[in-house]
Amino acid sequence: MSTVSFDVHDKEFVAIVGPSGCGKSTILNMIGSLVAPSGGEILVDGERVGPRAGKQVGYVFQKDTVFPWRTVAQNIALGLQYRGVATAEVRSRVTEAVALAGLEGFEDAFPATLSGGMRQRVALMRSLVVNPEILLMDEPFGALDTHTKLNLHAELLGIWGARQQTVVFVTHDLSEAITLADRIVVMTRRPGRVKLVYDVKLPRPRDVIRLRETAEYLREYGEIWHALGEEFQERVS
Amino acid sequence: MKDGRWSVWAWRLGILAVILGAWEYLTGIKVISKTPGLYWIDPFFISRPSVIAQRFLYLTSDKVRLTIWQMALSTIQSTLWGFLVGITTGFAAGLVLGRSDRIARIFDPFIVAFNSLPRIALVPLITMIFGFGLLAKIVLAWSIVFFIVFFNTFQGARSVDADLIHSARFLGAGDGQIMRTVIVPSTLAWTFASLTPSISFALIGVVVGEFIGGESGGGLGYLIIQSLGTLNSADMMVALFVLGAIGIVMALGIRQIETRLLRWRPEYQKR
Repeated sequence: MSTVSFDVHDKEFVAIVGPSGCGKSTILNMIGSLVAPSGGEILVDGERVGPRAGKQVGYVFQKDTVFPWRTVAQNIALGLQYRGVATAEVRSRVTEAVALAGLEGFEDAFPATLSGGMRQRVALMRSLVVNPEILLMDEPFGALDTHTKLNLHAELLGIWGARQQTVVFVTHDLSEAITLADRIVVMTRRPGRVKLVYDVKLPRPRDVIRLRETAEYLREYGEIWHALGEEFQERVS
Repeated sequence: MKDGRWSVWAWRLGILAVILGAWEYLTGIKVISKTPGLYWIDPFFISRPSVIAQRFLYLTSDKVRLTIWQMALSTIQSTLWGFLVGITTGFAAGLVLGRSDRIARIFDPFIVAFNSLPRIALVPLITMIFGFGLLAKIVLAWSIVFFIVFFNTFQGARSVDADLIHSARFLGAGDGQIMRTVIVPSTLAWTFASLTPSISFALIGVVVGEFIGGESGGGLGYLIIQSLGTLNSADMMVALFVLGAIGIVMALGIRQIETRLLRWRPEYQKR
């Protein structure tokens, strides 16, 4: 990755798209203190990101990181327990989160019995239940089928609309980026640079299914696709 | 399902009956009928089920100084103690070394050296240090169990998924909380895989200890060695059967604990 610079505003949903290997995930890992930048700096609220992630940052991985030895409810409770929240409050907030994610009836199920989509839902709620100010998501729905993905898009938009967190969402799926984000950072192929930052003007609240049939969606998709396409072409030639 | 289980048990009992029946019958055929001695298959060496049963009853009676139950109890006690101490120390050491590359590097040659030592060779030394009693047997069982559990735990602790640790950290976990909620549960699955072999090795260690330990150590190993002295294969067989029964019960117990504690694993999810 070479010089990359962009801003994320408070309570904004920003998506990063780009060809694979361009360093999308690395950017996220640097914001989350998993990787130290080799140069330059990352500022959160004007302060430099240290070697350990701040408690206000949540992270949802592409990989299944639900703890297999804990039930759904126990997984969602993790963050609250780590923070020493009282048991009664943990219980009520977990119940709320389980309902929000549509996981009622599965509270005591172990992850091994759940589908990939349900497990990712648990991972998402586990990160959201502690109300992080910044939520980093690294292709969280990458491994899911289209149907499950669309459902989770709708849920994520609903939750985000209610809580208004700052989200940085890495994906290689352009339609996913347009459906969810306020702004899209398009990266070039390796060595990754910011090719353009695109403002998505689609009105909210968005209907994840209908949206894709609208002319605005198709126009925006076309514009970004054109920019991304140049990157793919250069690779081919 | 239920029919299947019945037929399995019927087969098991059938096979057992055939083996015992053949054993009893074959060791009764003489080369020249009615003459003492001279068997086709001599019960002097492998005894006969009927004789073994008689000896078993005799050994449970109060006509003997040390009943078979007392001996079995002594063996079970030493095995369980060696097993418990072995798994706790092995688990702790495996966890520490598995999570610290530096300590692991420092200790590596010592561990390899000690582990490649045949443990049987240590028996006389352990007996010299700890005497002929229960303690020597426990130490011997421990020295075997420790390494089995240690190596498995070590591997388990090294292969904890880094992303699980990261996600715990993002959820606000401190180092101690990560240890308790990520590393230990994830490692336990590996440790459990070593428990079944551990219990049988603990039993081996104890019995070998009893071979040397003499009467003060008691136990079934003592009965075996004593029977060798008196060329009594029936008593040996009694000891072997009781040891087998102890082994089965202990293995079943571990499987119970394992199914309970690892019920989150996919292979235990079938009901």
